[in-house]
Amino acid sequence: MENMAERKVTMRIYGMTCDDCVASVAGGLKEAGATGISVSLEDGMAVLTIDDSRVSPESLAHIPVFTGNSRYRSQIRRVD
Amino acid sequence: MAREYDFVIIGNGSAAFSAAIKASEITRNQASVAMIGMGPPGGTCVNVGCVPSKYLIEAAKAVNFQRNPGYPGIKQNSPDVDFHALIESLRSAVVKEREERYVRVARSYPNVEIIKGFASFVSSDTVMVETGTENVQVKGFNFLIATGSRVKIPEIIGLNHTGYLTSDSIWDLNSVPESIGIIGGGFVAMEIGQALQRLGCKVTVIKQHDTIAPGIEKELGYELMESLKSEGISFLPGRNVTGVHRKGSKKIIEAASAGGKDIVEVDEILISSGRTPNVEGLNLEKAGVRYSSMGIQVREDFSTSNPLIYAAGDVVDQKYKLETLAAREGAAVASNIFDHSSKSMDMHEIPWAIFTEPQLASVGYTEEEYRRDQGKAVARTIPLNAVPKARILRQERGAIKIVVDSNSNAVVGVHALSPYAAEFIMEGVLAIKHKMTVKDLVENSHIFPTVSEGIKLAAQSFTRDLSMMSCCME
Repeated sequence: MENMAERKVTMRIYGMTCDDCVASVAGGLKEAGATGISVSLEDGMAVLTIDDSRVSPESLAHIPVFTGNSRYRSQIRRVD
Repeated sequence: MAREYDFVIIGNGSAAFSAAIKASEITRNQASVAMIGMGPPGGTCVNVGCVPSKYLIEAAKAVNFQRNPGYPGIKQNSPDVDFHALIESLRSAVVKEREERYVRVARSYPNVEIIKGFASFVSSDTVMVETGTENVQVKGFNFLIATGSRVKIPEIIGLNHTGYLTSDSIWDLNSVPESIGIIGGGFVAMEIGQALQRLGCKVTVIKQHDTIAPGIEKELGYELMESLKSEGISFLPGRNVTGVHRKGSKKIIEAASAGGKDIVEVDEILISSGRTPNVEGLNLEKAGVRYSSMGIQVREDFSTSNPLIYAAGDVVDQKYKLETLAAREGAAVASNIFDHSSKSMDMHEIPWAIFTEPQLASVGYTEEEYRRDQGKAVARTIPLNAVPKARILRQERGAIKIVVDSNSNAVVGVHALSPYAAEFIMEGVLAIKHKMTVKDLVENSHIFPTVSEGIKLAAQSFTRDLSMMSCCME
């Protein structure tokens, strides 16, 4: 049942310009409960895993690193 | 192989541009945007709508002011009008405005690619674009349909054969026709009709309704019609145009009413029968987007029946077709997509204006609408001659009307027929948006003497006899 709750999420990330940005985005996703995070500055994409019994994929676009005064924004592109 | 973008915008008018700019701002120019359009950038407003029409209106106003200075002791003058020079300057103004506000702006965003062509959906996330030389497939994650609207041409026997002008083609005129028959009422008929009359044309407006257009305060509409009649414009309300034909160099309009038949002989015909949304050819069925002849159906956040496809502006099935509304909706769509906002529009907070002289401006419910929706309404109308600045301007024709909710006294509608009405209607917008009462309007200082003080006086008329008040009192 634990595996059933795991979801691989692909996100489009806007606003990243350097490696520090990559670290900030990865850190924000980790704080939200994501694991296996891979963020690409070149593609503006992130791939990660979540346990959707604890974190819904849709909620990831609304975590602090992607809202308010943060310079980054995101869109959920795919959930497997 | 399809080109892929984060955001594909179909259309290149005000909704399209504001959406592209807002998306760029939110994503720090990182969202890849394709803007696909056929006509000149900027759409209706800058090319054939607000910009040229207001230019012509202001020029005609300058002519009229010389003919009728309005004050004793100032000699009337009949200026020679070189219409060809005037219309050339109008065309230059349009080009300049388009270049400055759209073409140059588009070049400022490196992430926005302009594609000239006609787009139609081939699936829920791909359009085929016919550029004239090739067909290009464009794939997007999100789409905005912002294809605008076009002049609605009524089915009238002989119309195509006889020939006619519209608000698109009237800017091609190089001389003022001696006479023009305007079929249909509404904003274009009033604005262009008054401007042409002032430039020496004999204008006849033939219309179905007995007032200017449905949904406006009738008493102000009648008063505007009276004002235009006093300048020499003829109105034939309650008529159905049954046919048109040519007779030598003239055009004949045949109209029927309960009272019989009218024959109107004119040099030109202008069609002013409203606008219709540009939904044809988009192949919306392939994308799962629901629409009707009234336009595309959207949810509050402007998403369509396909949640990844949005629509904004004149192509939407909504109450108003306004450039200002389209631009706000385009920006709202970009915010909803890229900032995960939930922006929507309340049509009762959207102001509009007819740029005649006097101007008719309005926001919110008419008295009749609110009574129909809520069962009861309270309203007060003051004549413009109750406003000191109007008396100073010697332009006393008009009125200001406020509609309020009878329980809360909150302002729900403000309507003005007055000089500068389009400028001061914003007080009504803020009053409605922030649920202000007439007392709130009164308890704000208004500059004396201004026509906008009429809003305060109209608010005071709910509780006072204006004739018993001294100047500027609360």
